[in-house]
Amino acid sequence: MSHMHENAMTRGESHHTRCVPALALALSVALVLVATLALLPVSALAMTTNKATARPNEDGGSGVIGAMDTRLTWEGTVGDDEEVSSITLSLPEGATFDHASTRITVLDGLNRTSIDGTATSSGNSVDVQFSEGIPAGSLVRLEITNMQFPADGGDYVVSGGYTTADGQSHVLDDSAAITVIANTPLQAAVSWLDAQPWVAAWNSNPFLGMFFKPQLLLTSFASLFPGWLVCLGIVLACYPFAIVLGLAFAMLKTSRHKVLRAIAICYINLLRGTPLFLQIYIMFFGLPMVGINIDNNVLGVIVMAVNSSAYLAEIFRAGIQSIPQGQYEAAASLGMNGFQTMTSIILPQTVRRVIPTVTSDFITSYKDTSLLSSVGVMELMMFSKNLTTTTGNITPYMAAAIYYLIVTLPLIKVVGIIENNIARSERGGGPRPKRRAVAGASQQASKAEEELTASAEVSHVEAAKPAADVFAALSAPFVSHPTVDLGGVADGE
Amino acid sequence: MKQLASLTRRDFLACAMAAMGTAALAGCGSASSSTGTSSTSTSASTISASQDTYTLVKDGQLTIASDLANPPLDYTDTSTNEPAGFEVELMQAIGEKLGLTSVYLSPVKFDTIIPTIKQGGTADVGVSNFTITDERKQEIDFTDPYLDSNQGLVTAKTATKTTQDDLNSADVKVAVQAGTTGESWVEENLPNATLVSLDDPVVALTGVQSGLYDAAVADLPVVQYLVNNSFTDCQVSIEIPTGEQYGIVVSKDNPALTSAINDALAQLDEDGTLKDLKTKWFGSDL
Repeated sequence: MSHMHENAMTRGESHHTRCVPALALALSVALVLVATLALLPVSALAMTTNKATARPNEDGGSGVIGAMDTRLTWEGTVGDDEEVSSITLSLPEGATFDHASTRITVLDGLNRTSIDGTATSSGNSVDVQFSEGIPAGSLVRLEITNMQFPADGGDYVVSGGYTTADGQSHVLDDSAAITVIANTPLQAAVSWLDAQPWVAAWNSNPFLGMFFKPQLLLTSFASLFPGWLVCLGIVLACYPFAIVLGLAFAMLKTSRHKVLRAIAICYINLLRGTPLFLQIYIMFFGLPMVGINIDNNVLGVIVMAVNSSAYLAEIFRAGIQSIPQGQYEAAASLGMNGFQTMTSIILPQTVRRVIPTVTSDFITSYKDTSLLSSVGVMELMMFSKNLTTTTGNITPYMAAAIYYLIVTLPLIKVVGIIENNIARSERGGGPRPKRRAVAGASQQASKAEEELTASAEVSHVEAAKPAADVFAALSAPFVSHPTVDLGGVADGE
Repeated sequence: MKQLASLTRRDFLACAMAAMGTAALAGCGSASSSTGTSSTSTSASTISASQDTYTLVKDGQLTIASDLANPPLDYTDTSTNEPAGFEVELMQAIGEKLGLTSVYLSPVKFDTIIPTIKQGGTADVGVSNFTITDERKQEIDFTDPYLDSNQGLVTAKTATKTTQDDLNSADVKVAVQAGTTGESWVEENLPNATLVSLDDPVVALTGVQSGLYDAAVADLPVVQYLVNNSFTDCQVSIEIPTGEQYGIVVSKDNPALTSAINDALAQLDEDGTLKDLKTKWFGSDL
C-alpha cells in the first residue's frame, strides 16, 4: 500500500510540469466565473440599476446645481435570461429632459456592442427604444446631456422601468440618490448676465467672447480666489527663507576660504543654470521616490525658496561688492572686526541698494508659482486651466492675469519710486546713511573720510543708535526728498 | 554701483520675460511650428470631388493638432523624434486617401486642442484620442469613430487602495489629464477624492509611480501600454467599461472636411487598412 502510494506520488510528480498549465487554466476560468458572478447582481434575473451620477455643473465647483444643464449618466445590467428592448428613466417633478440628447452605450465586458436607439424625452422622463434587443448580461449606459434637475436642491433618485423583447414591462430599482444643490447667488448673477442683450452682443464678437466673456469672468474671479491665496501664500512663505538663504550664500561666495566659495558657486550656478520647471519636477517626482513625502504646498514653498535664494545670493553679493573699498578700510582703521564691519557698515548700505532688484525678484517668484500647477499644486494657473478645460474659453486665463497684475503692478510702481530715490541720492540729492551723525563733520572731507568720521562719532553712542540707523537706512529709499532736504546734510554741492 | 544695479536689473527683466514667455506658451498652446512632417505620396484613389469644398489651413496638407502624449495612439518616437503611433499612421492613411500630406504640428496641450480647432487658422483637425461626447459636439464636429475604448484606473502595485470604494475618500489624490473623459469619470464616480488635473497621462502615471498620487485615470489602451512598457511598478487596478469611441475633431465651419474624412475612414475600413493598423498597434482588432 505504501509502495502504491509512493508510486502514485512519483507519477504525480512526473506529471507535475504538465499539470501546471492545465491547472492554471482551470483556476483562471473558475476565477473569471467567480468574478463575473460577483459583478452580477444577486438577483440576476431582472435588470439592475448599477448607478446614476450627474456631472458637476457648478462653475469651478463640484456641486450639481438644479435648473442648469448637466449630464445624467445611468448604468444598468441586463438580467440573465431577458432581452431588453426599451428603458424609461424618470426623475421627480421639476426635472426636465427637454432639449436633452441621449447617448447609448451597450457593452459586453469591455467590448462595445453596436446597438443604437432613439430617445424621446417628455418633461421629467426619457424613453429609449433600442434598435434591437439588448442581450442578457450586457451593461447599458445612457448619457443624457443637457438635462436639468429641479431648481430646489435635494436628493433625487432616478426611477423608471423597462420592457423586455417579449413585451413585458418591469420596474427598475431606484438609483442611489444624486445630491443637487439650489442655485447660488453667483449662478443667479450669471443667469442675469445671460439675459442681457449687451452681453449677447459682446459675446458675439469672437475675440471678446473668447477672451472676455462677462459671465465667465465673474465665475472665474470667484473660483480662482482660493488659487490666488495659494499663490500669495507660497511666495510670502518662501521669501523670508529665500532672503536668509540668499544672504548666507552671498557671504559664502564673498568669503576668503576657497572651499566655502566653491560650495556657494556650485549652489548658485546649479540653481541659476537650470530651469525652475526642471527643479520642480525633480523635487516633486524625485523626493517621493526616495521615500520623502512632503505636502505639495510645503514642497512648493521649499522649491521656490531654494530657487529664489540663488538669485538673491547674486543680488546680495553684487550689492555688497558695490560698497566702496574705502568703507572697509575706514571700518578697519576703527578697529572693527569683519563681523562688525559687515553688520553695522556694509549690510545697511547694501540693503538700501538691493531693494529694487529684490523686489523685482519677488515679482518674478510670485509669477513663477504658476509653474507649480504642472505638478498639481492647486494654485491660480491650475484653477484657470481647469476652468478653461471645462468651458473651452480663454476668459479664465484672463481672470488669472488680472489676479497676477493686482500684485505685480503696484510692486513694479514701488520699484520705480525706490529706484528714482536711490538714483537721486547717489547723485548727492538724497539721504545718506547716518546723516544725523555727519552733521558736524568736516564738509570738505572725501566721502570715505566722511563716513569714517561719522562712524567714529557713532561708535561712542553705538549702543543706543543702531536700531534707528538701520531703520533710517532701510527706509531711506522710501523717504521723499523735501523731508530729506530739511534734515539733510549741508554738503553744499 | 549704478552700472551694477542696472545690470542685475536687466538680468531680472530678461528672467521675467522668459517667465512670461513660458506662461504665454502654456496659455495658448497653439504656438505652432511644424515639425515632424510625415509626408505621404499622392495616391491615385483620392477623393478629389469634395476637395474643392473644404478649406485647409495650408493648401495640399492636412494640418493636425495633437498632444502626442498617449502612446501607443500618438506619441513622439524618441529615436526618430517623429510622431508615431496608431493615430499617426491612421492620419497618414487618411491623408493618402484625400490626396493630402498629413503634417503634425508640435505637440500642444490636450485641453487647448478643441479651442484651437474651434478658432481655426492653426490646424485642420485635432487627433488625440478624443472621445465623442455630446458636450464636445456642441463646440466642434466629430468624424465617425475610428476606435472603441474604455477607461483604466492605475495604482502602484504596492497600493492598498485599489477599489472604487477605497479610493472615494478625501485623503486620496487621483491624477487625470485635464479635459478628458477620465477627468469627468473621477468627478462623478470618486466625488470625495481630490482631483488633480495634469497635462498628460504620462505625467499622471509618473506621479502614481513616485507616490505623489494614489491613482490615475486615463484611456485604457494608453495606460495599459504605459504600465507594460514604462511604469512597471504600476498596475491597471480597475478596467472601467465606458465603451467610448474616438473621433477626429473638425471645426463646425468645415463640414465638407468632416464628410471627406468620413469617406476616407469608410474606405480604410473596407479595404482592411483600419483592421491592419489595429492589429499592428494593439495586437488584435479591438
